[in-house]
Amino acid sequence: MRRASWFAVVLTVLFLTPAVVLAGAAKTITLWYPAGDITAGAAHFADKNLFSEFEKKYNIKVEAVALDYDTMQQKIFAAAAGKNVADVLFVDSSWLPGFLKEEMLEPVADAKAKAWLSAVSPEIVELSDYGKGRMWGYPQYGIDVYGLTWNKTQFKDAGLDPEKPPKTWDEFREYAKKLTKTEGGNITRVGYAIRHVGHPHGVVHKHFWAIYGTGGALIDDPNRLRGGKALIDTPHTKAALKLILDMLDVDKSTSLNFPDPRAAFLKGIASMQISETVSIKARQPKEAPDLKWGMALPPVEKAGDKPVTLLGAWLYSVPKQAKNKAQAWQLIEWLNSQEKDFELCKQYDASPRYKANWEKEPFKSDPYDQGLKQMYPYGKKLPINLGLNGIMDAMGGAIQKVWHHEATIDAALAEAQRQADKAIADAAK
Amino acid sequence: MRTFWAPIGRLGVYIVVGGVAAIMILPFYWMVITSFMPAPDILSFPPKWFPTHVTFEHFVVAFAKAPWLSYYWNSLVVAVGSVSCSLLFGLFAGYAFAVYRFPLQNLFFLLILGTLMVPVQVTSVALYIQLSKIGWVDTFLGILAPNFASAFGVFMLRQGIKQIPVDVIEAARIDGAGEMRIVLTIIAPLIKTTVATVAMILFLGSWNDFLWPVIIINSAGLRTLPVGIALFKDPYGNINYGPLMAATLISTAPMLIAYVVSQKYMIRGIAMTGLKG
Amino acid sequence: MQPGREGEQSPRPASYPRRTISRLHSRHIFHAYLFIAPVVLLFGLFRVLPSVQTLLFSFYKVELLKDRLTFIGLDNFISLFSDEIFQKATVNTLTYVITIVPISAFLGLVLAVLFNAQFALKEFFKAVYFSPMVTSTVAAAMVWWWMYNPQFGIFNVLLRLVGLPGQPWLMSSHMALPSIIIFSVWKNLGYNMIIYLAGLQAIPQQFYEAATIDGAGPVMRFRHVTIPLLAPTTTFILIYDTILALQVFDQVFVLTGGGPANSTNVVVLDLYRQAFERYNFGYAAAEAMVLFLFILAVTILQYYYSRRYEVAY
Repeated sequence: MRRASWFAVVLTVLFLTPAVVLAGAAKTITLWYPAGDITAGAAHFADKNLFSEFEKKYNIKVEAVALDYDTMQQKIFAAAAGKNVADVLFVDSSWLPGFLKEEMLEPVADAKAKAWLSAVSPEIVELSDYGKGRMWGYPQYGIDVYGLTWNKTQFKDAGLDPEKPPKTWDEFREYAKKLTKTEGGNITRVGYAIRHVGHPHGVVHKHFWAIYGTGGALIDDPNRLRGGKALIDTPHTKAALKLILDMLDVDKSTSLNFPDPRAAFLKGIASMQISETVSIKARQPKEAPDLKWGMALPPVEKAGDKPVTLLGAWLYSVPKQAKNKAQAWQLIEWLNSQEKDFELCKQYDASPRYKANWEKEPFKSDPYDQGLKQMYPYGKKLPINLGLNGIMDAMGGAIQKVWHHEATIDAALAEAQRQADKAIADAAK
Repeated sequence: MRTFWAPIGRLGVYIVVGGVAAIMILPFYWMVITSFMPAPDILSFPPKWFPTHVTFEHFVVAFAKAPWLSYYWNSLVVAVGSVSCSLLFGLFAGYAFAVYRFPLQNLFFLLILGTLMVPVQVTSVALYIQLSKIGWVDTFLGILAPNFASAFGVFMLRQGIKQIPVDVIEAARIDGAGEMRIVLTIIAPLIKTTVATVAMILFLGSWNDFLWPVIIINSAGLRTLPVGIALFKDPYGNINYGPLMAATLISTAPMLIAYVVSQKYMIRGIAMTGLKG
Repeated sequence: MQPGREGEQSPRPASYPRRTISRLHSRHIFHAYLFIAPVVLLFGLFRVLPSVQTLLFSFYKVELLKDRLTFIGLDNFISLFSDEIFQKATVNTLTYVITIVPISAFLGLVLAVLFNAQFALKEFFKAVYFSPMVTSTVAAAMVWWWMYNPQFGIFNVLLRLVGLPGQPWLMSSHMALPSIIIFSVWKNLGYNMIIYLAGLQAIPQQFYEAATIDGAGPVMRFRHVTIPLLAPTTTFILIYDTILALQVFDQVFVLTGGGPANSTNVVVLDLYRQAFERYNFGYAAAEAMVLFLFILAVTILQYYYSRRYEVAY
């Protein structure tokens, strides 16, 4: 029967595969990172020779495996539960609360952490230090900073100074009104594009600037792991929501119909947007080669307020269930040494982490890097609370409800406050 | 049945069928056209129906970025393994449920059906833990583990076999055929269409299966097509549509061709046996 | 060929025994168990065991990575019933199922009847209607996400072309779920079509010939021969589609991620987020348990209801 021979083929292949896998066993450590060209500063993993120096020096083979970002958390969790997880994980720092809840990660050794924290610039310290010098991983170079990006040509055409971005909310609204274009009742270009759909966490990330800009926050103690109170139903958050709502309804300088702010910005149908500057820097050359754009800190509520923006990073971490932890730390330390930092940042056009490297060319004179350096001191990382995901789910839902005109600001925030407090309490149990 | 539509008006039918077909095919049109459009065109506003110029750059990127032959091979091995096992086991199980009466019959049937009722998203973790204890993680056996049989297959084949008159089976038994022989040489040919339909759906299901393979596969060399294509996505929704659509096209086109070919085979098969179903 | 086992051709009351010839079959108990053994064993090991484990998790606080399970009885379920987000997810899921199952089944039948006839280009059209099934749900959903884009997407371009206003589609809490339903109908059209086709082609010509001889026209033949004899297929389709629809996930994950404002949050998505973003695995398992019991109940109901109408011949 033909079926029988098919069977034989299949079975042979099945049985051969584990044999092949086992046969190649020298000391190999694995590293998992998310696939993608644009985001995550993972571009260097595509270089097949990235680790050759390390492999020769320590006689360890490194296998870097790309994973799908959307299912990466699930995969890491399942793998850790099955004690089959990679030795080095390159993960989104916003996943940290979840990992810490399950005690999945091994902290950086105290001595190494101390050395790192004293050698890197302040914004990297902000991203590395999770309280009392404790580090859960090494942040990647080219960190995410949320900034305002604006279209310089469109500013000029609207009679605005292309080198002067709006600094206060009043200016922001005024500029947005001037930049909006309508045709026959429909908005063809928004002054400012908002992110209001997609994953609720993303919506909240892109709105943080407004909350922070009023002096507000989402939780009372950002460094507290368990417990605490959400600060959602506050005048600060209300003001932040109202700003955008007014721009939607009163000024008509923004619209719900431009759901992908970065794409809209790159295509010239949005004059301003606020999100990670790295994305624009990476996408603009290919998608909008003629675009002249600027970046700055997001606007604050009143003149004289201190600007605050969000910092994000990817971390090199080692899970507790990893099988080759010592070698994993060796790799991470090698990859994040001062020399490597300089080499890779130069090669991949990113901003470095070590104070010493900032003093060297090309970083010292590069306008983009220096622009970022102006913004870094005002950056804060996400709170570390175990209930963070729940807080963001609640806040994201509230934002959507308000901007979609399905609930009043007060009602939506009250509901979100309830849900967020519940999430914090549940996570602390 | 053949002249069923005559009273309604053939032309009307053609218009409706054709119109709906055009709508059905719209997403494919967009997928194909995007793979050949330069990047600024894809995001242009107002959107373009036709590219300003045809470019193959996305295909070049897609081909360079991924080991397509390896992906095809892995997907093929998994699909063939899974479908052949499911058909074989499903045929026998379907026969047993359709023809025999035995204790706990309904319980077993419900059990098999019950495997469909717990979402794979959560059971994947428990299964993963189980498989890592026997070393099947990151192997073909691991990918196949939950797919050696199919509840859908059992259910469909049972329905199909129930429609065969008992006399045919009785006659074969009187002739001295053993039960196994009956299943393989008499029943199977009689439900050809059902078997072909089940095979097609199972094959497609395996070919497009994403969630379980992505969890169980760690090595790049074991990746199946859907796992490979997912890597064309960027985090945070920064999707680079050009290469992604090219990649999807590369993976979908063979399936479409295979479907057309299989349809011709099915029709020929039915015509040859002279028996329907 | 004589009409088969029960020798009846019309629906009969459920109280009649299903099989009247059982004496011969009792000899085959050995064969019965042998034949179902592979499926039962393989499923038992790789599907039933993990499912049961997962369902049991619902009674515990689960900390898999610390290898710790703390028994908390019904606590997860109690929290679940006061969880307003889960309630909304349930409503969304039910809305989805009640809409999509009848529509898909009906359209599948219509198409199968259509393609059972002969006409020019039939194979081409059949391939077109089947083609959405060939793509993976994830890839197709990404295409549709872009097509639904209010600015760049094809749908609004077409609408504006004929003078109608562009729609918010996935951006609006009212339109998002219908938009997902439209996608799902498109995606699964071919599936019901070919199953009905297989069922149609299994009906022996004799019955149509007999009906024609009795003077029945095409519509009557359809109503009194086709529909009743398709009943097992219809049952199968309704049961199977319902089970799957209640667990819808892929398209929602890609198209909306549950939003906006939880208007497309469905049970499996909610469960997924609880498990892999909040790491409340026990709570997620409780959701799975509730879903499982519901699916089980609905399936059993459908199954027994359908047996009243099932006809063998």
